[in-house]
Amino acid sequence: MSDWLPKSAAGRRWLGLAPSYFVIGIFMLIPMVIMGVFSFLEPNPYGGVKPIGSLAAYIKIAFEYDLEDKLVFNPGYLNIIFRSFQLSFGATLLCLIFGFPVAYYITLQPENRRNFYIYLVTIPFWTNLLIRTFAWIIILGRGGVIEAPLLATGIIDDSLRMMYSDGAIAIGLTYSYLPLMVLPIYASLEKLDFRLLDAASDLYANRFEIMTKVVIPLSKPGIIAGCILVFIPCLGAFIAPNLLGGGKKLMLGSLVQFQFASARNWPFGGALSMLLLSVVIITLIFYARAAKNRAAMEGSA
Amino acid sequence: MTTAVDIRGVTKIYSPDSNQAVKALDNVSLTINDNEFFTLLGPSGCGKTTLLRLIAGFEQVSGGEIMLFDEEIENLEPNRRPVNTVFQHYALFPHMTVANNVAFGLERLKKPKPEIKATVERVLTLVKMKELGDRRPNQLSGGQQQRVALARALAPSPKVLLLDEPLSALDLKLRQAMREELKQLQRETGITFVFVTHDQEEALAMSDRIAVMSNGEIQQIGKPTDIYEHPVNRFVADFIGDTNFLDGEIVDLNDDLLTCRIGAQSLFETENSGHHKVGDQVTLFLRPEKIMLSVLDQENDSGNRPGKVKNLVYLGNQAAYTVDMGDGIELTAQARPREDGELPFAIGDPIAVSFSARALKVLAQ
Repeated sequence: MSDWLPKSAAGRRWLGLAPSYFVIGIFMLIPMVIMGVFSFLEPNPYGGVKPIGSLAAYIKIAFEYDLEDKLVFNPGYLNIIFRSFQLSFGATLLCLIFGFPVAYYITLQPENRRNFYIYLVTIPFWTNLLIRTFAWIIILGRGGVIEAPLLATGIIDDSLRMMYSDGAIAIGLTYSYLPLMVLPIYASLEKLDFRLLDAASDLYANRFEIMTKVVIPLSKPGIIAGCILVFIPCLGAFIAPNLLGGGKKLMLGSLVQFQFASARNWPFGGALSMLLLSVVIITLIFYARAAKNRAAMEGSA
Repeated sequence: MTTAVDIRGVTKIYSPDSNQAVKALDNVSLTINDNEFFTLLGPSGCGKTTLLRLIAGFEQVSGGEIMLFDEEIENLEPNRRPVNTVFQHYALFPHMTVANNVAFGLERLKKPKPEIKATVERVLTLVKMKELGDRRPNQLSGGQQQRVALARALAPSPKVLLLDEPLSALDLKLRQAMREELKQLQRETGITFVFVTHDQEEALAMSDRIAVMSNGEIQQIGKPTDIYEHPVNRFVADFIGDTNFLDGEIVDLNDDLLTCRIGAQSLFETENSGHHKVGDQVTLFLRPEKIMLSVLDQENDSGNRPGKVKNLVYLGNQAAYTVDMGDGIELTAQARPREDGELPFAIGDPIAVSFSARALKVLAQ
């Protein structure tokens, strides 16, 4: 064995993991630290930051200075944050409602066909999200794919005004992240022992009870993972809100993007990002704790 | 006697419209009496599990009908049939405790809570699992899971209990102990048991009646002793227990005895059942335990046939001997070890073989 290798097992393990620590450090940790530091500095009106410490960015989330320079409560940004949560929650729910039956259907297919269907589910990822979201403008827009035939046949005589609404954003988000719901649910359903369904039905469970008492409880890990995988990117999404919400109905993600690109208030953008990050971390901690409890409850096999 | 399950001309064909159609059951008819321990016995692929799944309702018949206590059940979903199943691999719900597994059926039947609690406790006591109600299935051994599966199926007091090779995953000792327990359980509860197995010993040990199946057809239905002593064909005789088969021709007969020629010139006598005539080609069968082996005594050999030990397999409580009788005939016989534990004969020993004409039987072809 070469002499330069660390002697202890711990040392060698560290050496093996070093490349991944390096990559995560360079591309994730350092940018996040920069973001965190920026959020405590003062903005430079021409972009960037001034090296002066300040809590202004965090105060700005909930307060503003009125004309007399007094700090007053302003729920404007909080409303945006609240709406982001609402919309993300709604989109996650829609993804679950549409995604679960899809995953279940794929599980019921013969094995050789399942992989093909999973491949189909992932096809949208081959095209840029921006382009796919533009497609929804054509579908939902004034005189678009949905409205045109309805207008032509006289079923409606005015635009439905589907675009630039919370509904349009929710549809866009649902569409964008549906595969992230289907895949983990499929992964846990695939492991489901279908003899348990026979057993449940033998023990007088009807179809509905088979679902609620056996299939859904046993695919819970996949459902939770899918919900997290959809909810978190929804919170930070800005393409769907910008294009389908028309930029008027801001979400947290678009607000952050706006601070860096147009408003030139990097500290405020940083502060909002930190807020988003803490929500994500708290969610993941709850998930990890729930997974640990489940493992403890079901015992080691 | 009340009929619990009446199977009338049932045929089951899997994927009938494709070119891979498989006929799993072919015009099967049998009746299972109330309060009976009935066994479906056969090699894998004989259709016994298919028949069980048809009774449970997991599959639909392709032809014929199944009556449960004189009621047509064809159109009932499994959850509407008053039968419960003990599955081969138990199929316990992994996300529920033992007690919740057992309560599952009762809850679906909307029984009152106190009644559910009492019943769960009662059946868990019955299968000696009362202390482990709070465990999860994956914290239990195979034998314990088996008991839970049994308790879960018994809890709703089904009219018929279906058991799909429930003992096949257990080790030998446990399997033998569970045989007695199952039989006792059936007597105590008075529930009709329909038991599927490929293990003939299991079938003989527990059943009131056995249906031997092969290739989707019933070969023979009868009490264990009937099946063992009077198999109707070669398949049954071969599948149940160890057997010597002798193919030959009837050369002579009188009122009591048939004389058969086996090989070139060996003559064997057997009881005349009155169904055969001289010149018939027949198969005789002889159970190894009906053959007496003794030391060859040249002077006094009335009824004894000489042979030579060709091979032996020591089994502890006995040894199985393969005896070369000459003329191309080999017989398998058994002998107990002597009191000092030594085997009475060794390979190559000349030996005297005897058996009564009643032990040798003619098989229907």
